Amino acid sequence: MYLRIGIILAIMVVAYSLAKWKNLSVELSMLSAAVCGGIAGAFVSTPPIGQLARHLVEGAFTYLDVILVFSTATIFMAIVRESGGVNYVVRATIKYFYNLRIIALILLMIIVLIPGALTGAGSVSLLVVGAPVALALGYLGITKRRIAAILFIVAGLSAAAPPVNIWAMILSAGTAIPYVGFELPLGIPVLILGTFTVLFLGWKRERTMDLGEVLKEMPEVPERMSWWRVILPFLIFFGLIVASRILPFSTPILGLPLEFVIAALVALLVSPKKIKILELSRDTMKRLLPLLATMVVVGMLQQVMTATGVRGLLSFAVISTPITLLFILLAVIIPVSEGVLTYGGAAIIGIPLIWFLDSIGLHATVAIAGLSLLWPLGDGLPPTALIGRLSVMVSEYKDSYWTFLRSTWLPWLIITVVGILMIKFSADLEFLVRWSI
Amino acid sequence: MSRVWIIKSILLLIIITLMIIAGAQLYEHRHFKLPIVAGQGVTKVAKLSDYAEGVKETVADTNVFYLEGKEKGGKMFIMANTHSNEPAAILTALIFVENALVDKGTLIIIPEFNNSAGRNTRPGDGYPLYYEIPTEWGSKKFRMGNRDASPLDQWPDPDVYVHYPDKQLLSFLDVRNTNRTWPGRPNGPLMERVTYGAMQIMREMEVDIAIDIHGAETMFPVTNCIVAPEKSMRIATMTSLTVKAREKFDNHVEPSPSGFRGLSHREIGDYSDTLPFLLEAPLPFLDQPTGPKTVKLLLDGKDPFLLSLSKKRKLFVPYDETGWPMEKRVGQHCSVILEIIRQFSRKFPERAVELRNVPRYADVVKNGVGHYYHDPDKVDKAVVHFN
Amino acid sequence: MPLIMILYYIICAYIAGMLVWNFIREKKSVNDMLLYLLVMIPLVLRILRVK
Repeated sequence: MYLRIGIILAIMVVAYSLAKWKNLSVELSMLSAAVCGGIAGAFVSTPPIGQLARHLVEGAFTYLDVILVFSTATIFMAIVRESGGVNYVVRATIKYFYNLRIIALILLMIIVLIPGALTGAGSVSLLVVGAPVALALGYLGITKRRIAAILFIVAGLSAAAPPVNIWAMILSAGTAIPYVGFELPLGIPVLILGTFTVLFLGWKRERTMDLGEVLKEMPEVPERMSWWRVILPFLIFFGLIVASRILPFSTPILGLPLEFVIAALVALLVSPKKIKILELSRDTMKRLLPLLATMVVVGMLQQVMTATGVRGLLSFAVISTPITLLFILLAVIIPVSEGVLTYGGAAIIGIPLIWFLDSIGLHATVAIAGLSLLWPLGDGLPPTALIGRLSVMVSEYKDSYWTFLRSTWLPWLIITVVGILMIKFSADLEFLVRWSI
Repeated sequence: MSRVWIIKSILLLIIITLMIIAGAQLYEHRHFKLPIVAGQGVTKVAKLSDYAEGVKETVADTNVFYLEGKEKGGKMFIMANTHSNEPAAILTALIFVENALVDKGTLIIIPEFNNSAGRNTRPGDGYPLYYEIPTEWGSKKFRMGNRDASPLDQWPDPDVYVHYPDKQLLSFLDVRNTNRTWPGRPNGPLMERVTYGAMQIMREMEVDIAIDIHGAETMFPVTNCIVAPEKSMRIATMTSLTVKAREKFDNHVEPSPSGFRGLSHREIGDYSDTLPFLLEAPLPFLDQPTGPKTVKLLLDGKDPFLLSLSKKRKLFVPYDETGWPMEKRVGQHCSVILEIIRQFSRKFPERAVELRNVPRYADVVKNGVGHYYHDPDKVDKAVVHFN
Repeated sequence: MPLIMILYYIICAYIAGMLVWNFIREKKSVNDMLLYLLVMIPLVLRILRVK
């Protein structure tokens, strides 16, 4: 069976490489890998050929809810931007904090952390506040490359931050460990690493300008724009999320997409200028297309990998690795699994890994917290590179993707070391869980 | 027609064909009807909605089989397909429904507890849609379901599931998982209404024992065991020791953690007088490091990756070339349930439950699971029930 | 069907509608044409209540 699955895996890799060589997009290259892997598997009835179409279509559903979140959140932010709200916020931030650089940087970091911490999705952070924060960082004299780097790392940390950490939730659900006690094991490293990142990457002022000059250079905002017009849609959005936490049994379950739609409708109503919503939505969906297609195709790929046994082979390879080597390899395995499978990586590799670590006496909750610092890094890695691509998109960075990714090297390294040390010394850090409860 | 439209038409044709082929299979899966033959012991078939108005006319409503003895005694409640991707549960429950004859007390069985999850598939996990159990009259076809209810029946998910009533935060997916929504409430999300219905059965009928049948990965520490809270612990321990001594199979006892909310083995005991037990049999199909997810793996539990991991001592159950065949898993469940009843009846003779005609471990391993199923085409249609 | 669930079908239909509009308008990129259709698969089958 090893050889058979190995051959299918090789066919998938060749199909992907050939498609890339023929200049097909990442999404279509992954689709080629999924289809060719499925056909190769069908020769030995894994899956039966009659089921291949069903596997591809069923796989397309894996991230349907994420697709809805991305779509509605981006349309919401597009309305806020179109109404002049983004420019208004950036102008105010610069006006009040231009000369208080540390405070400005930490404040902006916290602004990025909040939406992701509440929803568990770094993408939501970027889609909701990424663009205005990127503009504000730009006026603080930071290059677009470094802005993209800050956004990528901080948005990733926001997804890991408590109270909602989807990797930890998937692992907790899959390993029957209660999702409690994560506040300190996640909160402390996220705040420290986030502060370090924003100060390290944002400290250097590439250009110095007088505040007056900066304000003059900034885009004009519509005359009737005011604080309440900007804040109201966000208040409604966060209000709905907070209400669902504080009054969970009397608040109906709205779900993130509907919460974004409600916020979008409010933003549309209070906008000082008329917005052509249909055209704006159409253009937003066009912009989001590669991201949405990635989600659909990754789901298909994941389904085919499982049906053919490729996913099991990869999981087996990780679990079979000797423990010392495994600790070192975690730095690569975890981000790469996220880059290929997004949240699927947590299920495929994370669940058996946690059972294994638990069985050798490590503390599962702290180990999960440590692992969930490593997973967001993978969101910058191809083929999916979800957060990386969004960071580049909202910061309007236009040069090479790899140059942007290289500039994150030090925070990346430190996060990796912290994550692995947390796993290694999880039993000693158990007090953090106790203090959280 | 312009070149662009020719390309578009071709692409559209490909995608529509794909959607029609796959859509038809998925639609058929959701609407597949599993015939359940009510055996001679079944005295009444009710609906879950008789106890929870909130599930009426929804896919979550499900059949509740009653097997009442002539003599009054204790009451026992069995749930299967709480997780519909753990098939040994429904296979065991059907052996009881089709064969058990109750002399004393009452047996209440819900074979398809999460009926919506039974009609759902698991995107990304490449499961087969059906599996077949060989019988003497052909084979009986079962639908392979999912752990969670279908979003077609309960949508959307919250961004995080806040457990009722403890407010513990659980994964958003768990709002559709009927082993996280206990004790439930009458007007909550649909799956909370399902568990509320079951709680109502237990409270109204004064049920003594509740058994929730599951399957778990071989790499999961809580497998091949009986999970029990403090109040059920003595009976669970006696059961475990007895089956080990008399029937030569391991089934250790795991304590139900008091800090982990929403599980049947925790909340049933905390919110009623019933003694809950959750049975786990090893299910290699669910393990992550396995070969292709085939019907064969589901039924025989043989996998070379798991065999290799077993040699490296990374599994929590004994595992060799024979795998973990379905007969072994179902047989264990049958024996453990019968033993729990016996232990309970010994301890509380005034609430005893007495039943016969249910095979034990050795019988199921010898005869196969399908041996105990009746051909729905050859029995009176009145005793064939569909959800 | 609960009101919130109906709203979700409307959201799906709206997004699918935007994708169809873009698909019709797309004149150059075959890549994008195919991607629009791929993203529509789960949306359309959900709206039809197939999956």
